[in-house]
Amino acid sequence: MIVPLNHILLLSGLLFSLGMFCTLARRNLIMMLLGIEIMLNAAAVAFVGASLHWQQMEGQAIVIFILAVAATEVTIGLAAILVVYRRTDSVDPDMDAALWEKGGSR
Amino acid sequence: MAYQLADFPFLTTLLLCCIAGLLAILATPAKHTQAIKIVSAVFSGLTLVISIYLFIAYDQQAGGYQFVERVAWIPALGIAYFNGVDGFALPMLLLTGIVFFTAVLTCWEMELRVKEFFALVFLLVTGVFGLFMSLDLFFIFVWFDVSLFPMYLLIAIWGSTRKEYGAMKLTLYLLAGSALILPAIVYLVVHSGAMTFDLLVLMEGDRFTPAQQRIAFFLLYIGFGILAGVFPFHTWSPVGHVAAPTAVSMIHAGVLMKIGAFGILRVGIFLCPEGWQYWAPLMAVLATCGIVYGTFVGLNQTDLKYVIGYSSVAHMGIVGLGLSTMTIDGLNGAVFQMFAHGIMTALFFSSVGYIYDRTHTKAIAELGGLSRIMPRATTFFILAALTGIGVPCLASFWGELVVFMSCVRVYPVAGALAIGALAVGALFMLRVVQKTCYGPPLKKFAGLKDITAALAVPRIILASVIVLLGLFPGLLFDMINTATMQLIGLR
Amino acid sequence: MQPATPLPNSLIVTAAALLLPLLAFGVIMLATRSRHRLSAAISIGAAGLSLLAAVYLLVQHWQMQAPLIFQAVWMVSGQMTIPIGILLDPISLSMFAVVAAISFLVQVYSLGYMAGDPGFGCYYGCMSLFAWAMLTLTVSSSLLQIYIFWELVGLASYLLIGFWFDKFSASEAGKKAFVMTRTGDVAFLLGLVLLWLQLGTLDIPVLTNPATVGAQLSPGMITLTALLIFGGIVGKSAQFPLLTWLPDAMEGPTPVSALLHSATMVAAGVYLFSRLFGFFSLSPTAMAVCLTIGTISMLLASTMAMVARDIKQVWAYSTISQLGFMLMGLGAGSLFAGAFHLITHAGFKALLFLCADVFIHHCGTNDMFEIGRQGGRRLKSAVVCTIIGAGALSGLPPLSGFFSKEMILGHLLDSGHPVAFLAAAVGAFLTTYYSFRLIFIILFPRDSGDAPPPESHDGHHHAGSEWPMTTVLWCLAGVTVVLGFFQTPLHDFLARAGTGFQAATPAHHSWLPVAACLLAAVAILQAWFEYGRKKARQIGWVEQIPFLADLFGQRWYLDRLYRYLLDTLVYRGVSRLFTANDRRVIDGALDGLGRSTIGLGRVIDWVHGGMIQYRLMIMVAAVIGLILFIGWGG
Repeated sequence: MIVPLNHILLLSGLLFSLGMFCTLARRNLIMMLLGIEIMLNAAAVAFVGASLHWQQMEGQAIVIFILAVAATEVTIGLAAILVVYRRTDSVDPDMDAALWEKGGSR
Repeated sequence: MAYQLADFPFLTTLLLCCIAGLLAILATPAKHTQAIKIVSAVFSGLTLVISIYLFIAYDQQAGGYQFVERVAWIPALGIAYFNGVDGFALPMLLLTGIVFFTAVLTCWEMELRVKEFFALVFLLVTGVFGLFMSLDLFFIFVWFDVSLFPMYLLIAIWGSTRKEYGAMKLTLYLLAGSALILPAIVYLVVHSGAMTFDLLVLMEGDRFTPAQQRIAFFLLYIGFGILAGVFPFHTWSPVGHVAAPTAVSMIHAGVLMKIGAFGILRVGIFLCPEGWQYWAPLMAVLATCGIVYGTFVGLNQTDLKYVIGYSSVAHMGIVGLGLSTMTIDGLNGAVFQMFAHGIMTALFFSSVGYIYDRTHTKAIAELGGLSRIMPRATTFFILAALTGIGVPCLASFWGELVVFMSCVRVYPVAGALAIGALAVGALFMLRVVQKTCYGPPLKKFAGLKDITAALAVPRIILASVIVLLGLFPGLLFDMINTATMQLIGLR
Repeated sequence: MQPATPLPNSLIVTAAALLLPLLAFGVIMLATRSRHRLSAAISIGAAGLSLLAAVYLLVQHWQMQAPLIFQAVWMVSGQMTIPIGILLDPISLSMFAVVAAISFLVQVYSLGYMAGDPGFGCYYGCMSLFAWAMLTLTVSSSLLQIYIFWELVGLASYLLIGFWFDKFSASEAGKKAFVMTRTGDVAFLLGLVLLWLQLGTLDIPVLTNPATVGAQLSPGMITLTALLIFGGIVGKSAQFPLLTWLPDAMEGPTPVSALLHSATMVAAGVYLFSRLFGFFSLSPTAMAVCLTIGTISMLLASTMAMVARDIKQVWAYSTISQLGFMLMGLGAGSLFAGAFHLITHAGFKALLFLCADVFIHHCGTNDMFEIGRQGGRRLKSAVVCTIIGAGALSGLPPLSGFFSKEMILGHLLDSGHPVAFLAAAVGAFLTTYYSFRLIFIILFPRDSGDAPPPESHDGHHHAGSEWPMTTVLWCLAGVTVVLGFFQTPLHDFLARAGTGFQAATPAHHSWLPVAACLLAAVAILQAWFEYGRKKARQIGWVEQIPFLADLFGQRWYLDRLYRYLLDTLVYRGVSRLFTANDRRVIDGALDGLGRSTIGLGRVIDWVHGGMIQYRLMIMVAAVIGLILFIGWGG
């Protein structure tokens, strides 16, 4: 293995931090969702690196699993955001109950 | 205690009648309201017939538990489907049968969601019948809750004045009660040394130490006492009665409040006699408070149903007083008073229900002169009021008399106060009668019709039971006496 | 209790006499309420048969030696047995006859009085209920049974006073009567229960047997129970301090006043006292209290009667005062004097009420001045009968009241109660005065002289046939005239009741009757002077003193006091306090519990809601903290 595990973990950590920052700081639901995706991918990178390092296939399998979960999560997340947008005309995560009730027509 | 299994499962048949009625109502299309009412009347009539038969067929010489049925259900936990009746349960079954049947007949004119209404009433009554006949603590608890839940819907959907508030208050109160009963039952079963919920097995020998009995009895007393309208926990009852529709008020005040007193007797007193002894003074104090308090608060009410609600608090106080005396007479009087009050209050609510249906008001200030307009309907009302006052030769009198007689012996002050409350009680009832029935007939009610023969039937049944028991109290006392003698004789 | 020498005949007759009115009540109320004539026939038939039975029993047992007792078990509960039974002895038999006779006569009288009233059938139903309850009360064999029927009599009274319930005053009076007597009955019930706890039985023969009672009860307990039971008597017989319900009870139909509120029901209190005479006489305190209460009531009621203008009110006050007079006689220790006055009073007071009714019926007013102006004196038979009745009431010689009154006066003197004797003399004077005041006012009207009687009657009265009314009046008048001469046989008969007769020697003061007659004559003269003679201004001496007139007219402010106490203490005091407690404290606490639960939910809801990224940040911080903790800790 050419790239040492430490570097991979560093990359993964950097990616995770970026994703976390994106999730926490951006005031846009779509960007928050992207941040979550980045964090998931950071974990996936770490898994691949670890799998190579210890020569075990479970890590790779988990990555596939993560990809599947991420896909479903994005689907549902985007759908939810779309609904929110339709109801409130906004993708601002700072929505309180009043906003929901105003736009909502349960 | 020895018992013989019954040849024919009458008690289960009684329960099955209720359930069959429930299913038959569910099977009838909702738009055939008349058919639903007829089905309900037939099945409730059937339960009445069975309960009368049981009352007559019970062998008073032999005493004990009869018509016993027992099927093991969860043997590992000692839970069995175990039914049997004695001299305490039979009057209650009869009471339930009478009140159920008359309540169904009373709401003959009802139009709103008839199917659901009768279905829920049947479910409610199934629980009540089940509780009165069950000899297994687990089933007693289950039936208790079965009879509570339909109440919420019945009041919240079909009620009147502040119905959501009333329904919510009632449900919360009663659930709080059941939250005290369950731990008490579990506590008793755990400490019994025998893994069983069988009431009769638990009664045998001295299974519980006095300290355990005190804890368990207190929980049971408060838990069931809430349902019986014991003094500081009574406020759900007037509010609930006011909010509930007529038939539900009848069943509720007539039967459900008796479940509370019956529970104290059947579970509390049967299993924890020493706890009973320990807490009896408290029971007497609370009961006396209830009698005096209910009477005085009733004086100031402006709503007809509130007045009856508070009279129920006072009358159930008399039941509590009887239970607290720890004497044969006290228990006899208490159970008699439970029966008499059930019939009386059912008559009360059904006649108030009629007045409300016609005049569309329950405010005492707006009523007046009804005796000229609907003499027959008000006759029932006045009869119920006189029973409530405790006029001799009407059922309630005997219960009160016997309770007072035993109470003065045990708690002279409480007895004197309770007797003193009689005078205020007279003022309280007669004031209502005067304000609603007497006086010049009001113009706005001039066109109202008097009660028709069909609608009078349930009221006539209730009224004749009152008079019959007033003239021949022995019919009931002899029955109750068999059970009391056995209970007190045990120790 | 062994049935002593069973004489089935008498018992069957008695039982039939008791059950017939009950049957009549049931039939009338259930079936024939709307058929007036039939209802009346059933009720009067039942009352008539009861009267026949009473006469038969009297004849049969005139020479009876031992009381006849029959008891059956009504109810058993544990160790408690409640019997129902019949006790026939001279006291109960004579009262039985009086009640049966007056019920029958009044029911016959009512045929004319109530004709055309829409509630005619109902009226006779209630009358039958009353007859049943009252007759059963008189022959009750145990105190508890007396209590039961005592309450039922009160119920009948409630229904009959409020018979014209359209009128507010009538329904109010009915309620007042019931509640006030109930107040007395609370004491009665308490006393009865105490007695039962001590003795284990409430059979009257046991209670009146001084040996058993004295052996089992301490003197203090006897006094306590006797006073409590006396409370019931005070309520029922409208004695001080519970006397104000009786004048109000005159709102009922007049025959009802004649039957219930003068002759029989209110006399039940006095009857109970004579029934339990053997028991009461064990406690000197109770006897003294009885004498005192009787005296106070007699004087108070007489003063009230002196200023009343309503003819029925006058007789109502006079009833209270005469009942007080009977209690004085009993309290002084003479059973016969009290019982004899009870019997004579029943006759002449019923007569007076029915006469008053004739006046009211014809003149359409209760005001005696107005009756005089409308020509009340044209009603010959009513006037004559009123004079006979008033004469008896005042104790004028050949009439029945004379004998019984002399008995009591003589006995008060004999038994060493000079104060009570003086009070009784004053009371007798006042009684004569107000009776003849009434008569003179009616006979010698001022202002408009002999106006023809008006054709229109007031709302309730319709011209019925007159003969039943007149016949009944003359019957009662005849009884009033004759009854006094039966003093000795009656005494011999009642003396067979045993207890309490040793002391009952007839008075031997030869001067007493003369003095009493003189007193009465003076009173009549004064009444004549103030109301009768040509120049009289028809203003009594009491009315010339505004303070007294006001005091007497307002019933010594007793009613105001009770009203005030009821309003402030019961309605505005305890009741409002409890209601507020119910709303604020109990419900308030519960609702507070509910609200605080909801509030807590809000707080938790706020923590869960709002900007999602803050929660995320907290979560991240927590995770980092956890990592650091584990990193350093591990």
